[in-house]
Amino acid sequence: MSVASDQLIDRLTSELGTDSVITDRATLEAHAVDGLVPRAVCSPGDAAQVAAAIRVCGEAGAAIAPRGGGTAVALGNVPHRVDVVLRTDRLAALVEHDDANLTATMEAGMTLAHLQTHLAQRGQLLPLDPPRPDRATIGGIVAASTNGARRMFYGGVRDLVIGMKMVLPGGEQVKAGGKVVKNVAGYDMCKLFVGSLGTLGIITEVTCKMTPLPERALTIIARDGGSTAEGSGAFRLIDALFASTLQPSAIAVLSPRAGELVRAGGPGVATAVAVEGFTEAVDRHVRDITGMAAAAGLSAEVLEGPAHERLWAAVADFPRSREGEALVRLTVPPGAVATAVDALSRVDDSPVYVAHAGAGTIWIGVEAARAATVFAALTSVAGAQHGHAVLASAPPEVKRGLDVWGSPPPALSIMREIKQRFDPQQLLNPGRFVAFL
Amino acid sequence: MKVMDRRTLVARLREVVGAPHVLTRPEDLVVYEQDAFLVAHASPDIVVLPGAAAEVGTVIALARAAGVPVIARGAGTGLNGGSIPVAGGLMLVLTRMNRILEIDARSRLAVVEPGVVNIDLSAASARDGLFYAPDPGSQGVSTIGGNVGNNAGGPHCLAYGVTGNHVLGMEVVLSSGEIMTVGSPAVDAPGYDLAGLLVGSEGTLGVITRITVRLLRQAEAVRTLLAVFETIDDASQTVSEVIAAGIVPTAMEMIDAVVMRAVEAAIHAGYPADAGAVLLIEVEGHVQALPGLMERIAAVAKRHRPRVLRQANSARERELLWKGRKEGAGALGRLAPSYYLHDGVVPRTKLPEVMAKVAAIARTHGLVIGNLFHAGDGNLHPTILFDPRQPGMLARVVQAGEEILRACVAAGGSITGEHGVGIEKREYMRWLFTEADLQAMRRVKDAFDPTGLLNPGKLLPDVMSSGAQADVKSPAFSVRPRAGLWS
Ligand SMILES: Cc1cc2nc3c(=O)[nH]c(=O)nc-3n(C[C@H](O)[C@H](O)[C@H](O)COP(=O)(O)OP(=O)(O)OC[C@H]3O[C@@H](n4cnc5c(N)ncnc54)[C@H](O)[C@@H]3O)c2cc1C
Repeated sequence: MSVASDQLIDRLTSELGTDSVITDRATLEAHAVDGLVPRAVCSPGDAAQVAAAIRVCGEAGAAIAPRGGGTAVALGNVPHRVDVVLRTDRLAALVEHDDANLTATMEAGMTLAHLQTHLAQRGQLLPLDPPRPDRATIGGIVAASTNGARRMFYGGVRDLVIGMKMVLPGGEQVKAGGKVVKNVAGYDMCKLFVGSLGTLGIITEVTCKMTPLPERALTIIARDGGSTAEGSGAFRLIDALFASTLQPSAIAVLSPRAGELVRAGGPGVATAVAVEGFTEAVDRHVRDITGMAAAAGLSAEVLEGPAHERLWAAVADFPRSREGEALVRLTVPPGAVATAVDALSRVDDSPVYVAHAGAGTIWIGVEAARAATVFAALTSVAGAQHGHAVLASAPPEVKRGLDVWGSPPPALSIMREIKQRFDPQQLLNPGRFVAFL
Repeated sequence: MKVMDRRTLVARLREVVGAPHVLTRPEDLVVYEQDAFLVAHASPDIVVLPGAAAEVGTVIALARAAGVPVIARGAGTGLNGGSIPVAGGLMLVLTRMNRILEIDARSRLAVVEPGVVNIDLSAASARDGLFYAPDPGSQGVSTIGGNVGNNAGGPHCLAYGVTGNHVLGMEVVLSSGEIMTVGSPAVDAPGYDLAGLLVGSEGTLGVITRITVRLLRQAEAVRTLLAVFETIDDASQTVSEVIAAGIVPTAMEMIDAVVMRAVEAAIHAGYPADAGAVLLIEVEGHVQALPGLMERIAAVAKRHRPRVLRQANSARERELLWKGRKEGAGALGRLAPSYYLHDGVVPRTKLPEVMAKVAAIARTHGLVIGNLFHAGDGNLHPTILFDPRQPGMLARVVQAGEEILRACVAAGGSITGEHGVGIEKREYMRWLFTEADLQAMRRVKDAFDPTGLLNPGKLLPDVMSSGAQADVKSPAFSVRPRAGLWS
């Protein structure tokens, strides 16, 4: 059972040093998880200290909430308990960028923006698009499996991660995968940890595949000016794209209100298509996509340079949690996005959504007061399309009444067995994951 | 283990799947005692060819009640001995479950049974301008279920990714006999990524009875470049520099002198017989973009004094260039009574160094080693040619193979890039992973298959007793002789 706070804090302090264990009221409150205020916030300086902190918590029966930049802290059910918030902010180094090999290894607490700055100097990037890249950390992005619109072309987090190191709830330091792009030595443990939301172990290091910076990148934005039924012109364009050999790197459909939020300009539904690659290929895409937009009754405009970058930064930022609002993530097979958007406009007369139409992910903003109702309606929409609705962010009082992950997954019994074998003491993020695992 | 009376079990199995689909006579079983890991074999006691997932469920439940191990098998082209029943038992051969259940062209996905042959899926999706990307050299015979079992790769995985990048979900029968769905046709199914874990699990976690895969759009155009170099080092440098220049072609395959000569003798693909290595580089995309891309690649190659730099100008020429690559293994087979095909990976920049080591290892052991492999991924396939009748030969071959894999690991690579672990590399897992790393994997195995019913003796090395040396045993080639659980 849980020991007294001062004893826990003393033990943590003796393992990590005074500066790395913070207990002042303001800091603790700033690290609350769904309103639960921890007893301590600690920042281990290396994997060995992470292991030491976990062992101390294990002996004390203290529940740990791992935390990177805190940008996805709203994701998940309200935890059963939060005693210690374990931050990765002091694990922020670039371990190795093997640029000739298109791979890089980062400590978990490195922010994506910091990494991208380094990579850009060597003509590369990591094609992930989470909200708040200035704060979002590699470890957090991997643990929450935060994917963006470019997934359709570059793959998702699960496809880009090739290795990682983690500390398990018993304090064991283990690794998975390696630093080569093909590797089938044993079970693919990286897949187990991507998206496990800090419930199986604390990720301390990640190795990913990188991509060369494209020679040219731009956006074709096509608008219906409010003239077509919700998104019908947009989806004619997208159908034409999918029927072609074109390979855009991202497609985002923005509802009129979402368009205002990301300042995409102009009334009506907007469809933004990002194209990246060698100049000749990009030119060909511009020509074809502009033609397809016209055929779909849309007016098209090309955005380049800062306008292109601003738009996609805003699209990536759309699914960030906002005070007093809730956010639903709907995923469906790519071909069902139009049907899902159509159904959405029957749930809400003027929906706020950004649909990553190539990947099949639709982010929907909802007022907190209506969140539970809308989530229930969207759960049936998802079900009808073999997809999933997740209440990705909402105030704790809304979350308490439901399971934000929807109905339990069909393989829950195996998931439980896995959780039980990795974390028998229920130390890591207890209650946050599917079916309150 | 308690073993149910064999006659009773066989009678029950016949009721479940139909008498013709239960094999028990030694002359029928012998076909299933080997896969393409040519140096080991062991016979199953019973072979069952189920026709549906529900049958698989019942068969597994029966096997469990009888205390008999269950081994899944597709086409048996695996190269790691993964489908060899080292402890005997009941083999589930999934080749009858070979229907393509759905192709959803708009969502670019397909739902297939595990016994569908890889190439048949691409053929069926070609009508919609789509294809299934993972293209192992065995694609004309290997099954999607077996591809998933081993997380198969292939030449075009350089740009498109391996099997695991294309599997969205599956239906799997657990060792309890329960049928379960993991993953889904939509991305980000809530919960742990069990579909991701099952890919590459070599039949040790569950028997896969249905798979949802992603399809890709066929490219508008393709260009293939043949570059012939004086030395394998020049070819390796070219591979490494193309990647470093920020170009990721769809395929970048290497064929060394040994293989070139074998291929020339067999099919006359037009390779100069006295050169050091051939690179086959392919790019796909739009007609406007490919010439520029080809120029950049050619410029890199030219820095390494190629003897020949030739583009295929027609589909026929392209096919001929690829034919040499595809027939390579077969052609090699003609040079010696047997061969041992290895599979290691290194960071691409380490190719020149490791290829030199492979050549040195061949010299030290007086062995002929041919190389034809996925160079763009750093995925080596040194193929050791030998005559098993020569006394002491197999031991030398195994020794050389181990030295090659150790060189890969020392260069920061892995013991297998696409062929998997099976019985072949279980012990080598310790070169990469600590006991704690392996223990984490064992937790996964225990969560799925607590009694160890499924494909025992594969993938994971046995738990190391405390105090034991981290000494690595050679692969268990001498597996249980044909005897049977009941004799
Ligand atoms: C000439 C040749 C070329 C090859 N080229 C390549 C290549 O380029 N790339 C590559 O990656 N491999 C290659 N291979 C290896 C082999 O073809 C692949 O590993 C292939 O995926 C095996 O498929 P299979 O149907 O033959 O499976 P099998 O050999 O029958 O089985 C493979 C493994 O999967 C398991 N398994 C099979 N079916 C199921 C199921 N339904 N559920 C659960 N587990 C199952 C088995 O137990 C076994 O462990 C090659 C082999 C040969 C002989």
